[in-house]
Amino acid sequence: MTVQPKILNRGLAVAFCGVLALFLAAPQANALPSFARQTGQQCAACHNGFPELTPYGRLFKLNGYVFGGGQSNLPPLAAMIVEDYTHTQAGQSGGAKAHYGPNNNFSLNAASLFYGGRILGDYGLGAFAQVTYNDPSRNFHWDNTDVRWAHAMTIYGDETVFGVSLNNNPGISDVWNTTPAWRYPFQSSSLTSPPGATLMISTYGQQVLGASAYVFWNRLVYAEAGAYHTLPPDVISALGMTENGSDSFSGLAPYWRLAFQPQWGPNSLEVGTFGMEANIYPGRVHGFGTDDKTDLGFDVQYQYLTDAHSVSAQASWISEHQHLNSTFTRNNSSNLNDQLHSFNLKTTYSYEQTYYATLAYSRIQGSGDPGVYSSSSRLSSPNSDWWTIEGDYMPFNHGGPSFWPWLNMKLGLQYIWYTKFNGATNNYDNNGHNAADNNTLYAFAWFAF
Amino acid sequence: MTTKTDRPRVTHGIVRWVLGVPLALTLVACNTTSTSQPAGQPSAEQEQSVVEGTVHVCTSCHGFNGRSTSPTFPNLAGQQKDYIIAQLKAFRDHTRADPHAHTYMWGMAATLSNPTIDGIAQYFSSQAPAPGTPGDPALVAEGQTIFKNGIPDQKVPACQVCHGAIGQGNAIIPRLAGQHPGYIVDQLSNFASGARANDIMHRNAKNLTPEEIQQIAAYVGSL
Repeated sequence: MTVQPKILNRGLAVAFCGVLALFLAAPQANALPSFARQTGQQCAACHNGFPELTPYGRLFKLNGYVFGGGQSNLPPLAAMIVEDYTHTQAGQSGGAKAHYGPNNNFSLNAASLFYGGRILGDYGLGAFAQVTYNDPSRNFHWDNTDVRWAHAMTIYGDETVFGVSLNNNPGISDVWNTTPAWRYPFQSSSLTSPPGATLMISTYGQQVLGASAYVFWNRLVYAEAGAYHTLPPDVISALGMTENGSDSFSGLAPYWRLAFQPQWGPNSLEVGTFGMEANIYPGRVHGFGTDDKTDLGFDVQYQYLTDAHSVSAQASWISEHQHLNSTFTRNNSSNLNDQLHSFNLKTTYSYEQTYYATLAYSRIQGSGDPGVYSSSSRLSSPNSDWWTIEGDYMPFNHGGPSFWPWLNMKLGLQYIWYTKFNGATNNYDNNGHNAADNNTLYAFAWFAF
Repeated sequence: MTTKTDRPRVTHGIVRWVLGVPLALTLVACNTTSTSQPAGQPSAEQEQSVVEGTVHVCTSCHGFNGRSTSPTFPNLAGQQKDYIIAQLKAFRDHTRADPHAHTYMWGMAATLSNPTIDGIAQYFSSQAPAPGTPGDPALVAEGQTIFKNGIPDQKVPACQVCHGAIGQGNAIIPRLAGQHPGYIVDQLSNFASGARANDIMHRNAKNLTPEEIQQIAAYVGSL
């Protein structure tokens, strides 16, 4: 190939931005605003709080974001702004991040522009695409993107929806709020130091591109299979993501999902499994083999949804097996094989889809490995435990003010309480820091319009 | 052993395709007028296609064949055709304005044409009704008494006078038999409070106690 890869990749990134610009400017004869305007429905029709989906919200997504009804002639655009305040129990010396003080920071957490709705509604083609500006990291980047085509048909008397999703984050195509891409916390501070260990499946959002095909049979059984590949560094960089230190996959990384969703009365249950497997060149360094990681997740969601009182609960358990050929060979890990497990449980009560109270428990547990964890953990351990309690108020979930009925707003107050952080409760990093130092009081105002 | 940073060329091809395909589709989208509402009178075939597509959306909440799972959404299977037509038009022009109308149905009905409304109503009215579900026997018995005889002391007429001896409805009077009790409770409460505007049903429901509403709902749900 004679074309310079760098120029090609920049060109592709510009082309992608051009696609977004065209999305945004697309004149439509038939009213393609963001979802609420497209459907003419209130946020509460699809969301039990945001972004948790109701059964109807799941069908809206799985049918390709194309359901219509609304009369608005505005383009299918939406915007989101999140302003927040972060207080940690102990200040972070040197500042929470560049441009911020050690503690009690206000920030523009995110400002996002969405394309949400039909592209070609008659053909079942629609998209959810997001570009975001983060003030803490001072950058503008592409965010979660899911372009999908779907078609529903009746086979032997049962409705069967077939679909294909092209997306940039493993699990973003999912409709139950249990996979890392969509699970709780739905809003969190960018100005705290989270526990050091993260699972592979939640690491590569916006660094990969993948496609998956799915089938949803009888609104009961869902199966999806797809694969991801890391984007070239120049493309990642041109799309605003941090390129330095990013990894690459050897070949395609398969992703799978199976879910069973019985519903009765106002109850909806989901029991499922999902996973991903990738052979990774850490830091894109070749010559030492690959780190082979497999994530296997099991999840449950229960929703009881009525007008007045609603309860929802989600639990997920993800087990990761790491075979660290490359990292171990380069002496960056002490073990050839490590395990990492995460457990998350969250339950929410809401009143009239306006007031929400949430309690969540999260745990990360895994093999001790000095080579991997000793810089952040005195015990060289990834183990962390924490509780989160949150209260939210969404005054416009049943329609915004008359001058802009599609305004939605969430005011939230969240407290995170760490009982263990990077392996220990006290002096976890050998620098005298305790788990409780990371306890976080977080207030945010989320606007979507 | 040598170390190199990879630039896998195969990805250029992949990226070119995955970015190029949406670009092409977007250009199509920008230059294509939607055919869901073509200018002029749609052919019978086009209208049928619109009705089928719309019914698919309806069933997202109202269930396969109009038998819903959640009591938030009424069963439509076997509902009176004229009643469905009247309600969809009332959602469309916002004369039905109870909370669920705001949340769900105003949007759903906003762009429906009269022929499409007719097709939707034809579809659901011709589906076999959902069978009744047995309720608390004590509630059902009390509800049956009110349904058959009314409550003369409270100026509540017998439901069966208009809704039929077995709650089957008649034209613009809805079928109640087999409806979700939770939905009936909501609607009687909406009539009583005036949230759902209907003079006759407001008069009929305003003197009902919450317990009596529960009884009526349990009875018609069992039919």
